[in-house]
Amino acid sequence: MKTLRGIGVVALAATTALTLASCGFSNDGGGGEGGGTSLDLLVPSYSDNTKSLWEGVIEGFEEENPDIDVNLEVQSWDNLETVIATKIQGGEAPDIYNGGPFASFAADGLLYPAEEVVSPEVFADFQESFIANEQLEGTTYALPLIASARALFVNNELLEQAGVTEPPTDWDSLLDAATKVSALGNGIAGYGMPLGSEEAQAEAAVWLLGGGGTFGDESEITIDDPSNLPGAEQIKAMIDAGATQADPGSTDRSPLMDIFVQGKIGMQVGLPPTVGQIEENNPDLDYSIVPIPTRDGSPFTLGVADQLMAFENDGDKQEAITAFFDYFFTGDVYSDWVKAEGFLPTTKSGAETLGGEEALAPFLEVLPDAQFYPTTNAKWSATDAAFKALFGQLQTQPAEDVLQQIQAQVDAG
Amino acid sequence: MRAEPVGAEAGTRPLRPAARPRSRGREFLQALPWIGPALALIVGVVFFPAGVMFYNSTRDISASGVDRGSAGLSNFAEVFAFPYFWPILGRTIVWVVVVVVVTVVLSLALAQLLDKAFPGRRIVRLAVIVPWASSVVMTTMVVYYGLEPYFGIINTFLVDLGLIQDPEGYGWTRNAGTAFAWSIAVAIFVSLPFTSYTILAGLATVPSEVLEAAKMDGAGPVRTYFGVVLPQLRAAIAVAVLINIINVFNSLPILRVMTGSIPGYDADTVMTMIFKYIQNQHRLDVASALSVVAFVIVILIVAAYLRVVKPMREV
Amino acid sequence: MAVLAPAPGLRKTDARRAHYTEDQVSLPRMLLRMAAGLVVLVVFLLPYAIMFFGSVKTKAQIRSVDPTYFPTEWHWENYVTMWSTPETPLVQNLISTIVISVFATLLVLAVALPAAYYTARFRFPGRMVFLFLVIVTQMLQPAVLTSGLFRQFLALDLIDTWAAMILVNAAFNLSFAVWIMHSFFAGIPKEVDEAAQIDGASRLTVLFRISLPLVWPGIVTAIVFTFVACWNEFAASLVILSTAGNQPLAVALTKFVGQYETSWHYVFGVSIVAIIPVVVLFMLIEKRLVGGLTTGSVK
Repeated sequence: MKTLRGIGVVALAATTALTLASCGFSNDGGGGEGGGTSLDLLVPSYSDNTKSLWEGVIEGFEEENPDIDVNLEVQSWDNLETVIATKIQGGEAPDIYNGGPFASFAADGLLYPAEEVVSPEVFADFQESFIANEQLEGTTYALPLIASARALFVNNELLEQAGVTEPPTDWDSLLDAATKVSALGNGIAGYGMPLGSEEAQAEAAVWLLGGGGTFGDESEITIDDPSNLPGAEQIKAMIDAGATQADPGSTDRSPLMDIFVQGKIGMQVGLPPTVGQIEENNPDLDYSIVPIPTRDGSPFTLGVADQLMAFENDGDKQEAITAFFDYFFTGDVYSDWVKAEGFLPTTKSGAETLGGEEALAPFLEVLPDAQFYPTTNAKWSATDAAFKALFGQLQTQPAEDVLQQIQAQVDAG
Repeated sequence: MRAEPVGAEAGTRPLRPAARPRSRGREFLQALPWIGPALALIVGVVFFPAGVMFYNSTRDISASGVDRGSAGLSNFAEVFAFPYFWPILGRTIVWVVVVVVVTVVLSLALAQLLDKAFPGRRIVRLAVIVPWASSVVMTTMVVYYGLEPYFGIINTFLVDLGLIQDPEGYGWTRNAGTAFAWSIAVAIFVSLPFTSYTILAGLATVPSEVLEAAKMDGAGPVRTYFGVVLPQLRAAIAVAVLINIINVFNSLPILRVMTGSIPGYDADTVMTMIFKYIQNQHRLDVASALSVVAFVIVILIVAAYLRVVKPMREV
Repeated sequence: MAVLAPAPGLRKTDARRAHYTEDQVSLPRMLLRMAAGLVVLVVFLLPYAIMFFGSVKTKAQIRSVDPTYFPTEWHWENYVTMWSTPETPLVQNLISTIVISVFATLLVLAVALPAAYYTARFRFPGRMVFLFLVIVTQMLQPAVLTSGLFRQFLALDLIDTWAAMILVNAAFNLSFAVWIMHSFFAGIPKEVDEAAQIDGASRLTVLFRISLPLVWPGIVTAIVFTFVACWNEFAASLVILSTAGNQPLAVALTKFVGQYETSWHYVFGVSIVAIIPVVVLFMLIEKRLVGGLTTGSVK
């Protein structure tokens, strides 16, 4: 019976291995120690500071609320949406989530109305223009966390070399200035145009909305709209005139900004954190920040807000979530956080505290003329994706075709 | 006694030393302790998620991941109605065939070199292992980084050689054609170590007597290689090709990194399309449907391969 | 796997080895081999040289529009500071990666080896079905499976544990290990086993004492293949492991990617560090692959 004994040994070895694997290491993260409430917080990484900033917030919060545990999970923007979608399918949404589009979550009835998870005083402190973008059918579902406005970053030295005396204010002068800068040669590009997948929707908004176009509203997405054509045609005109860097259709935003920072690009649209980037990597750059040139020179900027939202799950953590939001949005906790990440505040008190920040001034100035993405439309998320996937084709395809394709993908989604 | 050549001929021999008649059920039961643990692991871990994939392909799932009910076969209809589906499928086939064929041919040569004695062979063998040890994403990232205009060292090199006129270099990763070609190169590069080592391991099991016999018969190195060595490598190559077909078909990171910033669907394969459905469009239902289609395609390919090549025929 | 003494009746043959190493090789031919070896060396290490040079640059130098072939300053301190960045607890990430990969590989060996041996040696009903079922697990696209895996381990209360990832890695890497080892077992002449069995050895003794030493190259290939796959696994770890300290290096790397800026020097540095253990593992077992033991003749 040697054979049988042999089989027994193998089976035993395999069983041991399996048992070891399944019992050997237990869950050391897990929440709810000590009988209190635990909150799961899922946030994206804005910068290399993000994790420690949140850890600081959590530490302060847990000190004031010893019976609440907060579990922090930080993910890169690339992976954030995969992780949240998986958690939602598993019925384990995080209690608090920091992300972009909220409307599809709200439409699925997954979110607490914002007013139920924050005290009235704190809620009243948010600037109305931002709150208006967090609503679905009249109910606010998310709290604006940070905001950004865009402006044109201009390399003064390159413009001077090219004989351009004034920063451009409208499309004609922009095309003219960018063409002249591009003519300097030696790898220098006049206008940095990132239509690649990373943030194509932003550059699209800069041109389409700056040309009097529209992305739609709460009830309808309108990309294939005649009002969007001038902007799209102007992008093509810029490309055809050689006023941009090579291959704008597939150039991503971040690497292109690195090139601007190092003085190889005449003009590019940037955001508040760009200021910090220049300071860190090339403080000698001679640049100015001016409003984005538009078709007729009228003032415009693209405003974007990221938000915090609270998932209902079993509906038993409302109090803890309220405690957390009230703690976070009050006083220095919030303004310190926003300042460290280099964005614009969304609360009135925050604006007061940070109003004197020199770096933010040019952006706060253009903010009143901000237009926003139609984030209150549940289809915005699909629209965003369609822009990322298709808008760069403007480089090679007719403007009408590209807008039609985007609209078709949105309608199918 | 002289050794019998291993492999092909062995199949003609009786399988068990004592062929006592037994019932099929009992034979299976006897096999169970040997294959049972493997079966248990597969059934326990893989079945449920695979089932979820099939199930999801027939559901209507919202962008945030909520199941809104049955969708019948409409997700599949959407997959096939997508105007770029067939070009993407064609590109996937090109991707698999080119990568696998070139990989195997290069690996045969590489294994031959690594099997020969020369000073420094150990170092070279270790170098060949490095792309295998490194994550595919990181290897691709480095190549991508080297190919970028302005920043990339490969572009700088080509500019220094005078092959590219623009001082910022050429946008290799900005154009669908060149980005896809570079992706193929990277895929071959990262597939070489495993394939070479499988073949090398196969070479190590070629009995010396066979080689000596060929030598005594006066066969030259070329004839010995194609007439004696290559047939002996059949099992190793067959399995290496099989694994490569599946891996290359399922490969996502290389194309995702190399072609990620390119608009449209001119550099996509089935796998990157699945990824785009999930990551960009948040359409888990359609992505699942396309995964089921991909799964069926790869099963067909593998079944056809197993039928033609019969890597298991020795038993 | 313990090294067992080769069974009586078998001897290591040095003949084949001699054929390759001590054959009269002319000097030009030897130089040619060395030249080819050098080309291979350069081609295979080039991307990792770029990676290494990147890892000793500063964040700003790495994104310089004026790239240099070699770093102008060598910032070795990156290799020190990377272990204490605010983004991710790298020491814990490394430990996680090692624990998950080692146990998953052992588990794979424990279950795949007997299956590979038995299917290569014995015909039984369901054999082809089993082998096909095994390979089918590899044809599923991980990106789509993560959703189901997450739910499954949530139900088992194993979410965010090493045990979950050990099981996932083992289950999904089982198939190639089975097939690789199967093909090598199938390559051994049956007479070897038969002779031993007639001598009264049990099947298990035959497996460990006789077959195993003959298929070391195949087992090593399977070990390396499995270990590397576990070491670099990403898709399932991303969703199953949510605590930063539990995550493996492949997931930790993504934490250096910010919204507008990426710490490339750390990404490259961590990648270099992640390669080293695999190369060391390989150095340790390479001899087995190089063919110290061969399927020799049967006396």
